[in-house]
Amino acid sequence: MPDPTRRRLALGAAAFALAACTGSGSGRHVNVYSGRHYDSDLRLYAAFKAKTGIEVRTLPANGDQLLERLRVEGDQTEADLIVTADAGNLYRLQESGLLQPVVTPALEAAVPARLHEPHGYWWGFSKRVRVIAYRKGEIDPAEITSMDDLADPSRRGQICARSSSNVYNLSLLAARIERLGAANARAWAAGVKANFARDPQGGDIEQIRAIAAGECKLAITNHYYYLRLATSPDPADKAVAAQVGLIFPDQNGAGVHVNISGAGVSKFAQRKAEAIALLEFLVSDEAQRMLAPLNEEYPIRPDIAPTPALAALGSFKEEDIPLEALGRRQAEAAQIYEAVGWR
Amino acid sequence: MAIELPPRQDAPVPLWTSAVIGDDRVSRESSLLAWPMKADIVSIAALVAAVLVSAPALAVFLLALAPHGAESELAGGLMRDGVIGTLLLMLIGGGGAIACGAAAAWLVTLCRFPGRGVFEWLLVAPLAAPSYVLAYAYSSLTWAGGPIAFPITGFWGAAFVYSLGLYPYVYLAARAAFASQSVCALEAARTLGARPGALIWRVALPLARPGIVAGGALALMEIAADYGAAQHFGVTTMSTAIFRAWYGHGAPHAALQISALLLAAALFFLLIERRARGRRSYAGGSSRWRPLPRYQLRSFPALGAALFCGLLVLLGALLPLAWLARLALLRSADDIASLGQPLLNSLLLAGVGAAVTLVLAALIAVAARRGDRIGRAGVLAAGMGYAAPGAVIALGALSLFALARQAHWIGGFGGAVALATLFWTYAARFSAAGAQSIDAGLSRLATGVDASARTLGAGPLRRLIAIDLPIAAPSAAAAALIVFVEILKELPATLILRPFDFDTLAVKAYAYASDERLIQSAAPALAIFLAGLAPILFLSRRLSRARAGAR
Repeated sequence: MPDPTRRRLALGAAAFALAACTGSGSGRHVNVYSGRHYDSDLRLYAAFKAKTGIEVRTLPANGDQLLERLRVEGDQTEADLIVTADAGNLYRLQESGLLQPVVTPALEAAVPARLHEPHGYWWGFSKRVRVIAYRKGEIDPAEITSMDDLADPSRRGQICARSSSNVYNLSLLAARIERLGAANARAWAAGVKANFARDPQGGDIEQIRAIAAGECKLAITNHYYYLRLATSPDPADKAVAAQVGLIFPDQNGAGVHVNISGAGVSKFAQRKAEAIALLEFLVSDEAQRMLAPLNEEYPIRPDIAPTPALAALGSFKEEDIPLEALGRRQAEAAQIYEAVGWR
Repeated sequence: MAIELPPRQDAPVPLWTSAVIGDDRVSRESSLLAWPMKADIVSIAALVAAVLVSAPALAVFLLALAPHGAESELAGGLMRDGVIGTLLLMLIGGGGAIACGAAAAWLVTLCRFPGRGVFEWLLVAPLAAPSYVLAYAYSSLTWAGGPIAFPITGFWGAAFVYSLGLYPYVYLAARAAFASQSVCALEAARTLGARPGALIWRVALPLARPGIVAGGALALMEIAADYGAAQHFGVTTMSTAIFRAWYGHGAPHAALQISALLLAAALFFLLIERRARGRRSYAGGSSRWRPLPRYQLRSFPALGAALFCGLLVLLGALLPLAWLARLALLRSADDIASLGQPLLNSLLLAGVGAAVTLVLAALIAVAARRGDRIGRAGVLAAGMGYAAPGAVIALGALSLFALARQAHWIGGFGGAVALATLFWTYAARFSAAGAQSIDAGLSRLATGVDASARTLGAGPLRRLIAIDLPIAAPSAAAAALIVFVEILKELPATLILRPFDFDTLAVKAYAYASDERLIQSAAPALAIFLAGLAPILFLSRRLSRARAGAR
């Protein structure tokens, strides 16, 4: 039986919570929509507050869904800065007219030209590279020098891959379309697909695990997933990493595929000054030095030394294409994957 | 308190009569006769509820139909694969869930075997685990180099996870249906010489059919709507196709088209189910409640029954729970302490959301039972929302807000508006779980009672309070429980509609899991599990004791 007292209590609690959520605190703040949801970012924001007194309020969610929400909110949005974990999303935000160009001396000095949008619609603040993982003892790393090698018929049944709907795989193929054209990209995707040891499933870490378990010998992964296993508190993870090595492909060719995390100022930002301050902070010495140890991402700035774990992976040549191509070619990449049956 | 119904010493309408006079016919007549007078308060409230609950899904339809560029070509191939994948998963995973749930319900209500009393309430435990959490837990537990090297991967992995995670929906509904069966029907059948086998197949099962169908429908719609587990196991379903089109191809319109197809399929499915059920009546022949006669199982059958129930609980709850706990313990205590606020937020959303959803669902279900067309349409509309992924319903709700904003009815999408939209989305998404359950409960109301009350001069509101609600109370309590836990587990709508700095446990678990930090996602996932488990087991115990005359 419903108990009136209890019901009143519940209603009261709800009203209180509503009030708590909607009441705005005192002091300066900045609202961030974020497609990144790493604990490391919260520490960055805390450091930003300590430095500037500006509080960062976050709404971490899926990048594509945030885009839809921003579209609906239009000029009424409360978002000031929009952060994503992929260049493709930044491009889509820009295309949808949800960002505004911002150029400041600090940003220009810190971010290499290739890693931001030319007009300043968005700026990269960390890098990740997409590399090849291999099973030690069964693959001679000298034999695999390029992503092309994964499509070679001699690798039948050796490759594990994650779904093509994953944005890292989409960006990888988008970059290839940009460099070598759609026909080449299609042939490569079909060749890799023909070499699958199993249907695509799981994330990058699952692929590395599958290598350790002997289900396959080669996989494509972002570098930090491997480092995360290697530095995991779980001994089983460390054992997995011990059986797997990384190859930075295409060092004699186009260079390894690079993607960024980046941010842009909302077109309708009500706190533009604060948003720019946060953006500048993300590429500052302090934040760049914090970022790498927290998530094992590469700093965007060449003058910041990488962490020991990153340094151990060595230096490498990076792919040199405009990053907006990752967004521009993304739908085409998805269609190619679909057409060759890489699900 | 419930008012006492007029005592009926013996069944006023023999069982065969009520079976012949289908309540469908009765209600259709009454609705035709009474149509001009339908504007009573309950009907109007039901109309409002139906509109609220169906608006986001209808918005998705309208958006999908709106003329748009050349994206539809892409939707075709994806849609075909998605339809096949979803149907196969419904067949294997859904079939598994229905078989396990119905069998377990039958064993614990109508048989006696060692451990029965414990299993009776423990069997609902997997309800607390979101499918995506089960999927993550099982893959990290059973990969080839893991502690249990047994390949739970791909299609069969998804089917396994759905069978285990979703059987409690069927179990709960079927148990209520078995437990509320009139002893007389069973005794009459036995007196007439029916053997135990015939008793199950010809009396107990058919009488429990509304419960099994209602629970099974929920399980099947869960499969249709689920994204996390299917995506993780790499199965292309309608749901994963929607997000592949949306995120991968950057084609939200194609995503909406696939969503509209999914909604239409759900509607079609519900209509068929309704037609099939509509011709029969399941009202019990007697209001006398006596302890159910239970078969004493001995030796092998008893062992088999205990083993079967034990395995369901072990695989559906205990094993993944223990594994998550082990992973969570690898983290520092700080991490676990930081889950306090998300836990409160989750409980708040689930509590208020369940209350809002249940009120709307109850109005719709009661109106539908009275033969009210609005109510019946409302049940169907609610069903659509349940079969659609939360993100799609959220998109529908968001687009309605875009319209409201263009019309200058509202300003921004600030904290209160965001929360209100979130509750609305929950209602649109989960009121089917409430309405189905309450409807199944009301289906036990003997056909004549409502008419008798009307003859005796009881108004619509009085009949609602004095008859419908008390009768539906046990199933409404079960429904509230299901909706509460559903919202606790709900991810995509919460993710996109919540206000700033408002994390829930599911959001936390997702944030870590989507970044492949399984160890860190273990603590919030475990917290969802435990937070859902407590109310589930509590209510399950109460329900298993609540049967009049059971003790």
